[in-house]
Amino acid sequence: MAGKSGREINATPQNTLKKSILSWEGILVIIFLAVLVLCRILSPNYTLNNVLREMPKYLSEIFLFFPMAYILMLGEIDISVGSIVCLSATAGCLASNAGTPFPLVILIMLLVGGLCGVVNGLIITRFPELPSMIVTLGTQIIFRGIAEIVLGNGGSVSVTDSASFRAISKRVGPFPYMFFLVVICAVVFVIVSVKMKFGRELMAIGSNRRTSLYSGIKVKATIFKAYVIMGVFSGLAALFLTAASYGANTTTGDGFEMDAIAMAVFGGIATTGGKGKMIGGIIAAFIIVCLRIGLGQINMNSQLILLIIGILLIAAVILPNISASFKAAKKKKSQA
Amino acid sequence: MEKKSLLKKITGSREASLVIVLAVLLVIVTILNPAFMTANNILEILKNNSITLILTLGMLCVLLVGGIDISIASTLAFAGMSVGLLIKYGFLSSTFLGFVIAIAIGALCGLIIGVIIGYGKVTPIIATMGGMYIFRALAYLVGNSQWAGADALGSFKNFALEKFLGLNKVIWVVIICYVIFFLLLKWTKFGRNIYAVGSNTEAAEISGINVANVKVAVYVIMGTLSGLCGALATSIYASAQPNMQDGKEMDVIAACVIGGVSMSGGRGSVPGALLGALILAVIGKALPLVGIDAIAQNTVKGVLIVAVIILNVITQRTLDRKNLERREM
Repeated sequence: MAGKSGREINATPQNTLKKSILSWEGILVIIFLAVLVLCRILSPNYTLNNVLREMPKYLSEIFLFFPMAYILMLGEIDISVGSIVCLSATAGCLASNAGTPFPLVILIMLLVGGLCGVVNGLIITRFPELPSMIVTLGTQIIFRGIAEIVLGNGGSVSVTDSASFRAISKRVGPFPYMFFLVVICAVVFVIVSVKMKFGRELMAIGSNRRTSLYSGIKVKATIFKAYVIMGVFSGLAALFLTAASYGANTTTGDGFEMDAIAMAVFGGIATTGGKGKMIGGIIAAFIIVCLRIGLGQINMNSQLILLIIGILLIAAVILPNISASFKAAKKKKSQA
Repeated sequence: MEKKSLLKKITGSREASLVIVLAVLLVIVTILNPAFMTANNILEILKNNSITLILTLGMLCVLLVGGIDISIASTLAFAGMSVGLLIKYGFLSSTFLGFVIAIAIGALCGLIIGVIIGYGKVTPIIATMGGMYIFRALAYLVGNSQWAGADALGSFKNFALEKFLGLNKVIWVVIICYVIFFLLLKWTKFGRNIYAVGSNTEAAEISGINVANVKVAVYVIMGTLSGLCGALATSIYASAQPNMQDGKEMDVIAACVIGGVSMSGGRGSVPGALLGALILAVIGKALPLVGIDAIAQNTVKGVLIVAVIILNVITQRTLDRKNLERREM
């Protein structure tokens, strides 16, 4: 392409095969295939049907991953989502037991989640001096605390109308309903992050907040929206979790925030903001889910699975860093 | 003139406002329940919150360099479980050696995390999140679904019951830690380096401070204290379980934040951290005394944390505005 001055501008990225395989997403696909093969070798029951049957147990966390990726891209964090899931599940169960029609129960769960998101978003955008980590640490305690108060002394509630909850965990062929919703969400979230204004603004804010503000992006409104989406999707995760467990208690959703963040980070989305691709996180999420199903099938100690995920998480961040510093050292050498 | 500026210095400092908050809290609680202000009760509070009090010191150092550590409760459990099981199966009988082993395990965990952060350039929240999973899993795996109860711990649990010069030994450990850290951060080169790295990493690097080493050292300190607390918790609660002190890291971070320690590094002090931890401890003890249901305690605690940090921001904003106004004159 010739520029105004007649000089050649060659800035269009070249998508060669080698480059796309060596990208982080390419490596993730290879890891994904390796995990599938490994699990198949380890467990004879690791068939498509069985994996899909067990998926709903692990898949509700993926609804938390989608908006969490957006929040991380902004350079923020939300560690209150596990508690939002708890509060939303509690509200849904109680509403359902009080005889509320099921569609309204769903609406209530999403609304409770959204409302928690609004609280987070308001505090974070009103007081930008406060790190989101600390704000959501506070609300994490509050949201679960409210659920504890509502649940009272027993600390748990189970749904009496389990039929309607069971209805949403039905399946078409081997595919659970939830799987289709996950695919739809994945497509929408990828398109929004790559092609839509909102997604590009997220990235811009994450890479340089001040520049984005000066170039006319409504920084506060965008951050606020991201937190509200996070809240609503926590409600959605709560819905599917309740559908799988027919109840809620004070520990529902405990630690989900860490799992969602782990999926995003393993997928190459940096917690410092402005970096990463949605698609990488989605592959990473499925790697973790499939690995958990496979290792669960061979009755591996669940703590050992956590150990593996912990190591994967650190390795996912440290390996690119090391290779980058090697490259830098090489460059320095060739210059000298 | 001089007197006024001293007064201003006192009223302007964050620690002073924290002392006022703590005093007000204590007065309210004492009015509502005169039994609160007895020496025994206060010593009991100190003993029961010794873990938070000690870990707050390490977290202060970590936050000062602009980091964060959410793996501490897992490190604590790993160290506590290791020592508890060593005693249970008769490999260990000396209490002193038990503490040494716990501290060594904690320091090693801290060293691993520190190297990953300092030299691997991994963001602290991710590295310590990985550490949180790994060390907690190790705590379960060393246990192999076993745990050490009061009978198995033998003389180890006596440490938390014995007194030295009229004070419980646990409280002595807390006091010694606070004295060491106060001196360390205020008057040693290393302590000033921590502040330097946290306030401006690049400037610190240029002025010849080895930033990576300071970061590693800070996480080693944090790990050491977590290991110490692992042994302490095993002794105080007379049991070592793999899920011990789960979620403690959030209490510790909350104590630091209430104590005015900045999350972005460079700001915070040992007295502030102490006051933050004490305020949190008094709130925890006071809520049931003033008739708030045990069930509502977490909500109140959360609301208080959010209120305190928002109040901090608002005071800071008014201070900044006042300073600007003065400059305009």
